[in-house]
Amino acid sequence: MYQRFYTALLIVSSVALFIFTLMAGYREITPDYKSYKSEYRDLFRSKATGEFMKKKAESIDFSVQQVYLGKLNRIDRCINCHLGVENPLMEDAEVPFKMHSGNYLETHPVAEFGCTVCHYGQGRATNAEDAHGTDRETHWDWPILPLKYIDSACAQCHDQEMLAENGADRVLRGEKQFVEKGCRGCHKVNGIGGVLGKALDGIGTQPRAYFPMRYVQGDKTAYTWLKEHFDDPRSIVPESEMRIVLLKDEDADLLTTYILTIRADEMPRDYRRIRTGTQEVPGGEELYKMYCIACHTTGKYSVYDEIFKRTIPAIMNPTFLRVADDNQLRRFIEDGRANTQMTDWKEDAAGLTDDEIGRIVEFLAKSRPAKRGKLFGRSIFDGDTARGRDIYETRCALCHGEDGMGGKNRLGISLVTPVVKEADPEFLLQTVRDGREGTPMIPFGSSGINLSDQDILDVVGYVRTIKPTASPKE
Amino acid sequence: MSGETQGKRKFSRRDFLGLATIWAAVISGFTVLAGVFRMTKANVYYEDSKKFKIGKPEEFPIGTVKQLDEKRVFIFASNDGLHAITSVCTHLGCIVAATDWGFQCPCHGSQFNSDGKVIAGPAPRPLPWLEVSRHVDGNLMVDASKEVKPGTKVKIYL
Ligand code: FES
Repeated sequence: MYQRFYTALLIVSSVALFIFTLMAGYREITPDYKSYKSEYRDLFRSKATGEFMKKKAESIDFSVQQVYLGKLNRIDRCINCHLGVENPLMEDAEVPFKMHSGNYLETHPVAEFGCTVCHYGQGRATNAEDAHGTDRETHWDWPILPLKYIDSACAQCHDQEMLAENGADRVLRGEKQFVEKGCRGCHKVNGIGGVLGKALDGIGTQPRAYFPMRYVQGDKTAYTWLKEHFDDPRSIVPESEMRIVLLKDEDADLLTTYILTIRADEMPRDYRRIRTGTQEVPGGEELYKMYCIACHTTGKYSVYDEIFKRTIPAIMNPTFLRVADDNQLRRFIEDGRANTQMTDWKEDAAGLTDDEIGRIVEFLAKSRPAKRGKLFGRSIFDGDTARGRDIYETRCALCHGEDGMGGKNRLGISLVTPVVKEADPEFLLQTVRDGREGTPMIPFGSSGINLSDQDILDVVGYVRTIKPTASPKE
Repeated sequence: MSGETQGKRKFSRRDFLGLATIWAAVISGFTVLAGVFRMTKANVYYEDSKKFKIGKPEEFPIGTVKQLDEKRVFIFASNDGLHAITSVCTHLGCIVAATDWGFQCPCHGSQFNSDGKVIAGPAPRPLPWLEVSRHVDGNLMVDASKEVKPGTKVKIYL
């Protein structure tokens, strides 16, 4: 009984092993690219006219071919399936036999450039799945680059003007998005930029394992991650504090194209065609866009920000500018605002030079009204705080809260932050007297509620003594 | 065995197993050998391709003598067509220079006539002529791994 069972088992497993061995052998001698080659040969035969082309069609080499690129440290075997890239007869054939579009190969011969230096993917692979590397299971970190982002690859060697002249302007347009949406307000590149977000150096070559793919809808590639994350940051990284700054798909694609050009590697010198021209010095307005606009937007209206849980001040509001002189503005920018998202922007922190800060201040100051407010002439707070408290409770508590903490459901800002605590007397006094145009803060001086200067001195004196009661309101 | 097999040749279990073992050994031996021989030559090498493009026919008007330093060949275009001769000396591999009368090696004084034949010096063999062909995209190609008979010229203007 037992003996029979084991005999049967032996026979069955031997046969199975034999079949597997045959299959392995068969796969070894018929790799995928061979069937592509015979398909290509048939197509070539049917298209070939003239003796020369006919002979070429018959002489297709069925062994594996490759382009060895010593200087680029690459070996590309794409041409085993993409057989017609250099064949003019294949101009309107289907992929993978189609001829390469445009005249790119004339200036970038396959023998010198290969394929993966522009298109990425795994050059050494000999089947489509591994070569394209789009599937996460292929474990290839730089999968084939979708054509809508292909301009980013050109930027490895070409400067942007050159690209723009030759129709590859998507990098330039992407950079415009990058500047105008104010990405550097939070992200450092080359050591310059804000600190709220991650530094972006080398992001374009970052392996895909570094991107959390859990919520990505499309291909699990860095390209899709970036694009979907620009569409809606919190759908990809739920705890992200990134501001949604983009409006249309197209812009997200452009920004992705630009982001992919921020690489950690460099092409060999022989390959680069970067013209080193004089860099244009960005003006105040451009700098404002680059570093400030993501949070302060147009700078005209203060808004309570759901993500930051605080009101972001309108820094081009005339009444604000009337009380904040250039030196003060410069100090705000250089040293940041403690306990807020406003980082210190000076050269040894976020990296703006004195000169650049000067230009931003100059730009902001353009919105300052010519007429300055009447000075209180105080350098210390000497109001009567007991009197001030009474005034506060009747006049201010409604918006700023009894506890002075402002917050989400109140119109006023928190008065217990260092921003208020450390402000100059003159700045606070005039703000109370003249109000803040464009915000719910009305003038409390003679042009509004009509408190006397002494009342204002007292109330501001009291405000300065309020202590935070608990953690700031959510 | 039962009566049915009685009429056929007697074939004992022992014989069958013995023969099967021998044949299995022979077949697998040959398969292994075939595999081993296939291994001796790699499908691809970690090096520059021996076959390379040299440009379009228009770039080689009659009378052209062109030395491609990196590829180590000379290209000549004459009335009879185009041919390629290696620039690597057959002695110890220095790069020869083209002269009025042929080629001169700077290292140990080998001299070759314009067909590559040795006329002086230690070089043991003439400079080989290399195969010239055309790519489907119209470019001319040289295959440095394929020698052709001296005097083989390729008509490049069809
Ligand atoms: S290498 Fe040319 S003569 Fe010796």
